[in-house]
Amino acid sequence: MTNKFQYFSVGLITTWLCIFGLLSFLVMVVMSFLQHDPDHIALWHFTLQNYEDLFNPIFFKIFLKSFYIAFMVTAACLLLGYPFAYIISRLPERLQNTALLLLLLPFWTSSIVRTYAMMSILKTKGLLNTALLSMGIIHEPLQLLFTNTAVGIGLIYNLLPFMILPIYVNLERFDISLIEAAKDLGAKYTTIFRKVIIPLSVPGIVGGCTLVFLPAMTLFFISDLLGGAKALLLGNLIEDQFLMANNWPRGAATSVLLTVIMAIGLLIYWFKSNKRINYEAAI
Amino acid sequence: MKKGLLLILSLFCTVAMADDNVVNVSVWSQELSPNIVQQFQKDTGIKVNYSTFDSNEVLYAKMKASKQTQYDVVEPSSYYITRMVREDMIEKIDISRLSNYKNLNPAFIHPDYDPKGEYSIPWVWGLTGIFVNRKYYPNDKIEKWTDLWSPKYRDSLLLLNDPREVFNVGLMTLGYSPNENNLQHLQQAYQNLVALLPNVRLYNSSSVPSMLVDEDVTIGMAWNADVYKAQLQNPDIEFIYPKDKFVIWVDSLVIPKNAPHRDNAYKFLNYVLQAQIAAMQVKETFYPTANQAALAYLPPELANSQIIFPNADLIKKGYFQTDINDNALDAISRYWQLLKLQ
Amino acid sequence: MKRPFRSLYLALIYLFLYIPIGTLIVYSFNNAVFSMLWHGFTLNWYAQVLQDSNLWIAVWHSLYLAISATTTALFIGTLAAISLYRYQFRGKNMLQGLLFVIIITPDIVMGIALLILFSLSGLSLGFWSLYIAHVTFCIPFVVVIVYSRAKSIDPNIFAAASDLGASELQTFWHIIVPILLPALISGALLCFALSFDDIVISYFVSGPGFEILPIKIFSLARLGVNVELNALCSLLFGLTLILVCLSQWVTRQKKT
Repeated sequence: MTNKFQYFSVGLITTWLCIFGLLSFLVMVVMSFLQHDPDHIALWHFTLQNYEDLFNPIFFKIFLKSFYIAFMVTAACLLLGYPFAYIISRLPERLQNTALLLLLLPFWTSSIVRTYAMMSILKTKGLLNTALLSMGIIHEPLQLLFTNTAVGIGLIYNLLPFMILPIYVNLERFDISLIEAAKDLGAKYTTIFRKVIIPLSVPGIVGGCTLVFLPAMTLFFISDLLGGAKALLLGNLIEDQFLMANNWPRGAATSVLLTVIMAIGLLIYWFKSNKRINYEAAI
Repeated sequence: MKKGLLLILSLFCTVAMADDNVVNVSVWSQELSPNIVQQFQKDTGIKVNYSTFDSNEVLYAKMKASKQTQYDVVEPSSYYITRMVREDMIEKIDISRLSNYKNLNPAFIHPDYDPKGEYSIPWVWGLTGIFVNRKYYPNDKIEKWTDLWSPKYRDSLLLLNDPREVFNVGLMTLGYSPNENNLQHLQQAYQNLVALLPNVRLYNSSSVPSMLVDEDVTIGMAWNADVYKAQLQNPDIEFIYPKDKFVIWVDSLVIPKNAPHRDNAYKFLNYVLQAQIAAMQVKETFYPTANQAALAYLPPELANSQIIFPNADLIKKGYFQTDINDNALDAISRYWQLLKLQ
Repeated sequence: MKRPFRSLYLALIYLFLYIPIGTLIVYSFNNAVFSMLWHGFTLNWYAQVLQDSNLWIAVWHSLYLAISATTTALFIGTLAAISLYRYQFRGKNMLQGLLFVIIITPDIVMGIALLILFSLSGLSLGFWSLYIAHVTFCIPFVVVIVYSRAKSIDPNIFAAASDLGASELQTFWHIIVPILLPALISGALLCFALSFDDIVISYFVSGPGFEILPIKIFSLARLGVNVELNALCSLLFGLTLILVCLSQWVTRQKKT
């Protein structure tokens, strides 16, 4: 009896994930080694051309640019989000819930809608320029829309909670007595922050950064709407290969490369964190 | 448990998607008025699944993505029709089933992209020119495409997000025909466009009117209808027919091979060919129509607008856009990617 | 950090999050076609949104898709989480690895992988392709949520149940499910939200016969300023607000 239930549930999920997770990914890998053919999806002919294409300096440039944008966005989210998460985690519990609710409320509306709203703020005659002009801070409207900055702001706006939440969860959990102990020992607040609080929230920071960095490279619709359709993010590059150039094999190759980079990053983190844990255990 | 399963099953059985009285239409964004769609649904009881695209490439990719097509009516531009015929993607249209076909302007029904007029129903046409907001550039002399290369327009141009359109400009400013198959000329055009890049602020084809009205961009290339629309709300905008020639394009309605709802597709085509419907189309989207009979239903300020319906002399100065061969199209697609990556 | 400084900081971040939505709502009453400048007050756009039947069909499709994907993902995911918790079996590590990989795979990679699979297998893009894609990206989240709750179950309870003669199915239905109920609810809510809002994956695997709301909104947003879209978004935001308040109210009632 046990077996029947077990076979059914394990079989069900294994089948589903193998077909739609594993198989689809393998098909994509195979596709990335096939030859491009304008009249069909691909020709059944092995080639490395698609990967060679990606080592073209221009594609390399877009990889770098995409990394750069994603890095800046992640850093900005961390700088904005960490203090926010910290302040919230020190609030009384009832207020904490309200604060979190307020944080998440805008995120229950579609991300497209929020990006579109951002568009209307950043326009030449949008709210931001109108406000700055009327306050006399600037005299010429800023040309923000359709620039990298606009894409960056849009990404930060969309991804900020993904940074705040893991850090908050982490900070909220840790033992307040540690801070008390440090205070009793006469440590200054900044020292406590640097030596105790930040090191303890590293897992939250890493989690938040992962959740922000990857989407920041691939959320193509944000740079479509805010960046003026110049191919800025890796996501745009992939989208273009599929929908504009109709070159599926190369699009597949780009995705495979993205996945490989992501996997390497995670492995490094995993390896390092394991080592540190071992190290601590050894002490 | 059983109740739960039954509930799930019954949910699935009520899939309302088995609705057969539909027609799946995909058109250029802003080239089919939603009111026409609603009226068609009311008059015929056929539900229209209506989606839009903003470049031929996207339409083509979407059509290629499924083996069995789901579209019943699509609206590629002239040069893609030749390609779709060659690749056996669209089917011949039985003109005898379209009683309103006679309303079409004879000048449009035997074009060189479809010489016998068997595959396509010309729907709207238009031309691509220069727009400029005179509030920002009151005295600039802008007459030709080459004027856009001037360094004073640094980081300010709007280019259409459409490879053929942009290459047309690159070719014409060098004195070549926009329907060029010569790969060397295309390469020169690419170099020419690379020189234009510092001036390019953004690529966009679907939200041009709103960007012009709100002055997010003040100079660049645009379709005549979009500029007309923007002008209605912002009179500072001017449309210019470039003296170094311009391109006239035609977007036609076609039926994909093995369209799942072919009869409804015919009903839809015949419906939109009515003179009043085509006139309604012009009144709401401002794209020039290929429907001759519709002109009688247009208010004079539309029918006589030099932007929407330029006179015959002006039209003679334009190139009609035609198909180019696969090699040339591939080259353009490759160069286009490079342009956008820089 | 001083207290007033903290409050100021919170207020600024909230301002950053809410100003765009506020602008959107204000301008949904703007009497202009495609301009962001104020041209007077009107309710026309709301009237237009309410009359736009194609829009409401897209809303219905999205709801339908989200509900069916959530139900399926919840079913498969819960069974999987319980098996992962209770049994040792070959390939368990592989299964866990696969779930983890699906969670961290960027949406766009999953979208195109599924698109390639569907188009090679001849499945036409429409409801079924969307359904499969949404179930696939929802399952791992259900498993994670349910599994972490299941860990709190005392294993002795199973021994007790079988000693009392309960069959495996009875144990599942009368013991496990009630314990897991909070996790099931939060899993369902998460899946619903993910599915209802997904744009990247749906963008690649949706077809013309089954238009869903996010795709529809995306195509409207590409048209630039569009006051009808403002009205629609304000309506959706209002609806969310009501639902959230309602759920808050219900939980508070329960507590007291």
